Amino acid sequence: MTEKRAADVFQHEHEKDHEEHKTPGTMVLVLLLLASFAVYYFANWKALADAWHVR
Amino acid sequence: MTTATANVIEVPGPKDADETPGFRQGNHQGAVRSCDTTGLPVCLTAQRYIKLNAVMAVVFLLVGGTAALLVALTRWPSVHLLSAEWYYRTLTLHGLNMLIFWIIFMEIAILYFAGTTLLNTRLASKALAGVSFAMMVVGAAMVDAMVLQGKADVMMTSYVPLQAHWAFYLGVILFAVGTLVGVINFLATLYIARRDKTYQGSVPLVVFGATAAAIIAVLTLLHGAVVMIPTFTWAVGWTDAPDAAWYRMVWWGLGHQSQQINVCAMVSVWYLLGTLTTGAKPLNQAVCRGAFLLYILFINLASAHHLLVDPGVSAGWKIWNTSYAMYLAVAASMIHGFTVPASIEVALRKKGHDKGLFGWLFAAPWKNPGFSSFFLSLVIFGFLGGITGVTLGTQQINIIAHNTLRIPGHFHTTVVGGTSLAFMGLAYYVVPLIFQKEYPLKALARVQPFVFAVGITVMAVAMSLAGSAGVPRRHWDIEFTGAQFSAGFDSSAHLMMGFVGIGGTIAFTGLLIFLLQTVWAVFLGRSNAGKPMEQW
Repeated sequence: MTEKRAADVFQHEHEKDHEEHKTPGTMVLVLLLLASFAVYYFANWKALADAWHVR
Repeated sequence: MTTATANVIEVPGPKDADETPGFRQGNHQGAVRSCDTTGLPVCLTAQRYIKLNAVMAVVFLLVGGTAALLVALTRWPSVHLLSAEWYYRTLTLHGLNMLIFWIIFMEIAILYFAGTTLLNTRLASKALAGVSFAMMVVGAAMVDAMVLQGKADVMMTSYVPLQAHWAFYLGVILFAVGTLVGVINFLATLYIARRDKTYQGSVPLVVFGATAAAIIAVLTLLHGAVVMIPTFTWAVGWTDAPDAAWYRMVWWGLGHQSQQINVCAMVSVWYLLGTLTTGAKPLNQAVCRGAFLLYILFINLASAHHLLVDPGVSAGWKIWNTSYAMYLAVAASMIHGFTVPASIEVALRKKGHDKGLFGWLFAAPWKNPGFSSFFLSLVIFGFLGGITGVTLGTQQINIIAHNTLRIPGHFHTTVVGGTSLAFMGLAYYVVPLIFQKEYPLKALARVQPFVFAVGITVMAVAMSLAGSAGVPRRHWDIEFTGAQFSAGFDSSAHLMMGFVGIGGTIAFTGLLIFLLQTVWAVFLGRSNAGKPMEQW
């Protein structure tokens, strides 16, 4: 397969691309990131609540 | 015609400048060559200064990396290598060389590359490039000389009233002004490219990102001038000491924003390496450019999270600066965190790698260190750096983490696992394409990004876990030997500090492989002038 050269990609980068893009793999990676963030963020609030009791 | 790397760019045979489409529109006045691999025009003046800045970057990476190993082996309680005096001295050296000198020399090289090669223009001023480079080298050398002589044991932040020798502050000022001159040269290059119509349409996204980095750099360096000049005059004895609280606030306008120059430059390098290694094209220009604008507008506010336990500023100021406003900058990173891998996925699926959810990812050119460095950098920056950063930047949570080892655990995943690894990936293209030299042991180069990524991940995660057990950052002796009362930490903290030492040693091994290979390639490597770079 002949690839496009980098010069061509950069030269035509600003031109509108009318193709429809599907990125299901990236969506899964992004959702994994958000889930990891939710767990880590909650765990830290829990640790804070355990260290500093509010009466 | 042949194809260069596994699924890279089309590689033409040797050709002269006039054969490249659009090349004649440049304003190079003869001092130009056409890259035999990418087809991009390379301004020879810019090439010279890209080389010089890249070489100095690698020199300071060696200094900072060696200091990193010594620091890691001292924080490992079983080894505890350095004396207290030399530990703090080495930590100061490590911070300045890794966070400032290595990265900013590389960034000036990136600005000169993006400004000239991608816009088909000459560098605006050879004289400015020379002045910038000389000032940066002299400034950095003065700083390192003062630190190594024990005349600047003030850590990277050099918080007043700690005082270093005046030559230390003068070195920082010289380096900052030299950087500013380089940035002005880049902005002038953008101007002449626009004036001479050397490109069509909008500037490429990589140039846009580099411009965002340059704008943040100007703001950063102005903060640096405001805080460092009165500190210098104080060190000489001309004026009184600056107010300590004022110093801390303005210094972080320099200290934190300089890391945001890194983020902008790193994201630009992700887009660049995405194109060079897979032929990827940004998915949506407006969204990607909008994300860079968010960095410019809101990233300065994030400086506030360094002052979350500072009594000198109000709770309202802390909450505003580390909540909604800062999250607009975080949103920018999340946008890039989607668009960069998405553009790779689209490019690889177009090539037929569309099996299942992750067929494209498995088929990616992992043997190409340019690709593996940048993709590992993306993962480490997002999953480790991003998640920990947003959490630690929350005012309430920061109370349980501030000044613990969790903070260095976070920024080693952004600046080292993120920016430094991405810049190493860039070097795997800069050396063959700009220096026109081949890397000697390609198999070793292929594993290097993985060794470095594993080492830095182990070290940073161990730092975070040790910090969660309360281990302080920067401290020479977590046993508090000789204290009046019982202190120190339990065995789990010691175990984690052991992993800090082990991870640091693995990361240093990866760094050493990179350094030796790169120095070998630059000075002793086979020339590829007149032909395309070899396959990875």
